[in-house]
Amino acid sequence: MGFLVDAERCIGCHACEMACKNEYQSEPNVRWRKVYPINETEYSLPERNHLSLACNHCEKPECLRVCPVRAYTKREDGIVIHDQGRCIGCKMCAMACPYEVPQYNVRLKKMEKCNLCDGRLDQGLKTACEAACPVEALSVIDFNGFTKYGFVIALPGFPDPSITKPTTRFIKPRIGAQVRRDQ
Amino acid sequence: MKEISRRSFLKGTAATGAALGLSGSFYNFLFSGLEPAQASDETGIQKFQNACPRNCYDTCSILSTVENGILTKVEGNPQNTFTRGRLCAKGYTYTRRVYSPDRIKYPMRQNGRGSGNWERISWDEAYTLIAKNILKIKKEYGSTLPICLNKYSGNFDIMHYGIEGMLSSFGNTSRATGTPCWPAGIDSQTFDMGTIVNNDPEDLVNSKYLILWGVNPAWTSVHSMYFVQEAQRRGCKIVAIDPVLTQTASKADLYLQIKPSTDGALALGMARYILDHNLIDAKWLMNNALGYNEFFDYLKNNITTDWAAEKTGLPKNVIETLAREYATAKPANIWIGYGMQRHANGGQNVRAIDALAAITGNIGKSGGGAQYAHLETWGFNYHAMVQNKPAGSAGSGDRAININNFGAEVLAAKEPPIKMLWIACRNPMSQDPETSVVKKAFEAMDFVVTADQFFNPSVAMSDIVLPVTTIFETWGVNVSYWHYWLCLNQQAIKPMYESKNDIQIAMELSKKMNELEPGSCTFPTSGDLKDWVGKEFNTGIYNQFGISDWKELEKGPVKTKAGHVAWQDGKFRTSSGKYEIWSEEAKKFGHLPLPVYREELKPANEYPYRCISPHWKLNIHSQFQNLDWMQAINNAPFIEIHPETAQKMGIQEKDNVKMYNDLGYIVLPAKITETVAQDIVVVYEAWYKDKNFNVNYTVKALPADMGKKATGMPGMAFHDNFVNIAKV
Repeated sequence: MGFLVDAERCIGCHACEMACKNEYQSEPNVRWRKVYPINETEYSLPERNHLSLACNHCEKPECLRVCPVRAYTKREDGIVIHDQGRCIGCKMCAMACPYEVPQYNVRLKKMEKCNLCDGRLDQGLKTACEAACPVEALSVIDFNGFTKYGFVIALPGFPDPSITKPTTRFIKPRIGAQVRRDQ
Repeated sequence: MKEISRRSFLKGTAATGAALGLSGSFYNFLFSGLEPAQASDETGIQKFQNACPRNCYDTCSILSTVENGILTKVEGNPQNTFTRGRLCAKGYTYTRRVYSPDRIKYPMRQNGRGSGNWERISWDEAYTLIAKNILKIKKEYGSTLPICLNKYSGNFDIMHYGIEGMLSSFGNTSRATGTPCWPAGIDSQTFDMGTIVNNDPEDLVNSKYLILWGVNPAWTSVHSMYFVQEAQRRGCKIVAIDPVLTQTASKADLYLQIKPSTDGALALGMARYILDHNLIDAKWLMNNALGYNEFFDYLKNNITTDWAAEKTGLPKNVIETLAREYATAKPANIWIGYGMQRHANGGQNVRAIDALAAITGNIGKSGGGAQYAHLETWGFNYHAMVQNKPAGSAGSGDRAININNFGAEVLAAKEPPIKMLWIACRNPMSQDPETSVVKKAFEAMDFVVTADQFFNPSVAMSDIVLPVTTIFETWGVNVSYWHYWLCLNQQAIKPMYESKNDIQIAMELSKKMNELEPGSCTFPTSGDLKDWVGKEFNTGIYNQFGISDWKELEKGPVKTKAGHVAWQDGKFRTSSGKYEIWSEEAKKFGHLPLPVYREELKPANEYPYRCISPHWKLNIHSQFQNLDWMQAINNAPFIEIHPETAQKMGIQEKDNVKMYNDLGYIVLPAKITETVAQDIVVVYEAWYKDKNFNVNYTVKALPADMGKKATGMPGMAFHDNFVNIAKV
């Protein structure tokens, strides 16, 4: 399982991020999902494009590899679960993750991250972020089943995927025509 | 203001039994505050219907989850086919709003307006102080006209019009009249068609061509964006016309960067091309419109596409292609935004755009039209609003004070002067033009009462602040000015602290006034808020929505049964019953009868940049940006500057930039971006907690050309704000 982020549909509205916080009533500065603007110089014309990112539930999760107390597990369906009960808050995972996914909860003195709404998925519900996206730009896909065509493994600003093999896939933004006064 | 400590917040919550022993915050009460077994105890879980009452197109239907008396989650209600079970970034923060430690918790008195020296008082003390002031003013001036209400769009729940009712129940009073939002465009469509009516936004999917003209739904109506994109997927071409490359424009097939305030010139240039190439719908015009021959004469004699190109900054061939595509795609739709009418010629520009839709026969069609807004579903009883004045009230009626020049008009009011303000559902200190003048008006008062939820700049300039409930703590009923759904708002939790609904405040104040001077206030002194919801309904609403009792709304929101395509019956509500391209009514209000071009305002030499101050995606005016979840995403305003302009002015990314004109200045970090043009800077309007930021310091109270007919006052030309910038 992994996220499919459709950057053509995404309007950078942060509904996904807030729906995640609403679902888990998380601490203000702990953001399991973040919406990043893609630098406007990355494409042929300036546009407002975004990456909505949470945990990438990597095939080779560095967090899992470095965690000294085995707080991380990877389920058979691919979801990388962080068990806060085991976590000692040493921040090794935060240092190892190329995507700055695990975040430190100052109050609990432990790490936390997106568990792909495992509880909701197990009940047959969509993830909170997918359920909230007003333009259906986010979905959870079966990583094994989908075609590689039409999807890309990175967009500008997304760190090198070769290290941990993230399962997140992207649909590229389509750049429309512009008639501008500075041309 | 800073005296409101965490400790007092906790004291407040303990009283409601909701504090749960957390140390200083409400975060993660599910994980740490409650015993796990208790948190997952299904028996304690309840769901409620709520409605987002903010001044927003989308007016979402909300399902709220309450666990053991605590609001733990909000979700979109999937029964609403427009909001489709989704909220927006703002809506999903509601738990943080309800349980924010920054909330105003009990009535307070400030010793020295603006001093921050607040002390807690009881409701009885507050009512006594307020009632005595009202009665004193009435005695001294012989009427209640020195009392001025400024209430508008902070909460559009129908019951909240009871605030106006409360003022009526004192006697004749002064009223902030008009709206800063959309009046020029309302008048335009009122002259053209008799009133505003838009197609059901769910009908956007049926368009073959869609022009998003000065509107940014990706930030201001996220649920509409689904239907825009769905239309696009079905082959509809999306064109965005905007001086700013907005989020919406970024998703369009074609973006046209028009010079601000020249939209009418583009529409008229297109109309000339459509006329010359015989792309008009003559049959529709003959059957449905008046004045088209005069309009065509005007086009032939005065308008060319060369002129339109010169005016708008768009190449002639682009205008001609746009005109041809628009006129030949059937149906073609235009969504006219509120931003583009916030200019000195905004109303006239909207009339020119309406005319495009008319001459191509797109009015009255599914997938077509000139969408602006509607008030078709707002036919409530206004039971809370309509209150009799006390017998023998002095004065011949209420006195209108222009909401769009509030500070100056309050200061200028004579015979009698204005001495007391009541502020509710508004933050004029942040949202009104000419902030310095507004501040002087507050300072000149004898007494200022504000009812609110947070210590915003208007509260800071008040003597008394009254804590009001959030939507989850009270009853209400909501409709939209865009979609066609009706949604009940149920009380889901007990009011936090000592907060009260504005109507309850009116009832209790009325009781106090009548104790002190029997007969001085006609507002009912008791009543059940849920019953008051019921009193807003009538058979018209029931028939429109196909229900027989308002309590059916407890099962979920309902949609109107008919009328989803505006003007489909061809019965325009003008005096002639036709679409009036030539409008005698416009003439009566001092406008030219035809949608001719009215010159846009241009920057003067000293102030060569136009500052546009649109909505920001994480707030609606003074609401939501102050909440900690929003602050975690962004907590700093900025000024957007084109790279060439920045280079010319020696400005680099994040440099502090002073934006100024003869009215005032603000200093903001620069964000260098090609989403703006070289002669434009953009600053998003907002209230940020604890930041001395306010874009309105440089905004003149300059009226838009229209608005007086439908809303009593002209609109406000917020985007004719000319400034200079300098690195500091």
